[in-house]
Amino acid sequence: METLSDKDAILKIKNGEIDYFSLLVDRYTAMIFNFVIFKLKNKEDAEDLVQNVFISFYKAIERFDVGKPVKPYLFQIVSNELKMFYRSKKSSLPLKEEIYLVADDKEQDVKDEEDYLRFITDREKQMLLMLGEGYSYVEVAVKFKKPLNTIKSIVRRARLKLNKRRRYEK
Amino acid sequence: MKNKNLEKKILRKVYKIEARKTFSYLLTRLLLGLVFLLAVILFYSTVVDILNEQQSFDLLFFYRQNFAVVKRYFLPNLFNFYQELPEPLTYLLIISIIIVLVVTAVLIKNFKKIKNKLVALYKFYKTK
Repeated sequence: METLSDKDAILKIKNGEIDYFSLLVDRYTAMIFNFVIFKLKNKEDAEDLVQNVFISFYKAIERFDVGKPVKPYLFQIVSNELKMFYRSKKSSLPLKEEIYLVADDKEQDVKDEEDYLRFITDREKQMLLMLGEGYSYVEVAVKFKKPLNTIKSIVRRARLKLNKRRRYEK
Repeated sequence: MKNKNLEKKILRKVYKIEARKTFSYLLTRLLLGLVFLLAVILFYSTVVDILNEQQSFDLLFFYRQNFAVVKRYFLPNLFNFYQELPEPLTYLLIISIIIVLVVTAVLIKNFKKIKNKLVALYKFYKTK
């Protein structure tokens, strides 16, 4: 089993002999783990990410072109997973806090907040607040019974309106 | 240095995903096949009962006559028999048969792959 090439192992996996996946895991885990831990500097996060990489690879193995090498493909998945990881870690400020930071003093803050929120509809307000409270776009879409992309468009439009207003006032 | 624990975790997750995928695949195909097989039996028996009641099978008895008679009445009788078939039920019967055949063909085509997967899953969970 150890001497089998990546191509043969993948052909076997495609044929249902999934135990050959352990060969690929054995071959590439250390390499990917070292790369990821160098980037993330956190063992738990790195382990989770490596697991996700191999699961994504396994899910995509049916459509994997055996003529191509495995390593670049795996590192492409690593890159995507890292992007997703950084995106998920990106701190999001709730709407109210965001407005709070813009203003100079507290009394002015409340007034500003109300002023700003005047320019967006109630529905947009609710969506932004939900997102600010940490709900995901999917959850917001479920709550409002709308497609995910519609929610994204509405939120984007609301944010543009607020930004435009903010720039105008500056 | 190899992280054997991490490798085990990855394999455990992969096998879990595969077990779920394989069993759901098998279960849906088998259920689909079974349901339509039952439908075939039901529709077939109903169609035969209706044809018996109508005595439509008498139209086919002429095949026992000599060749000249068969040659002369083959097409008209067959056409009459076709007209006496209960149409909706016959179509449903044909559709059910096609679905059963397709499901069976798909299962036969993937038989080796599914068998290999089941063997691999069995080996993994047995040695665990």
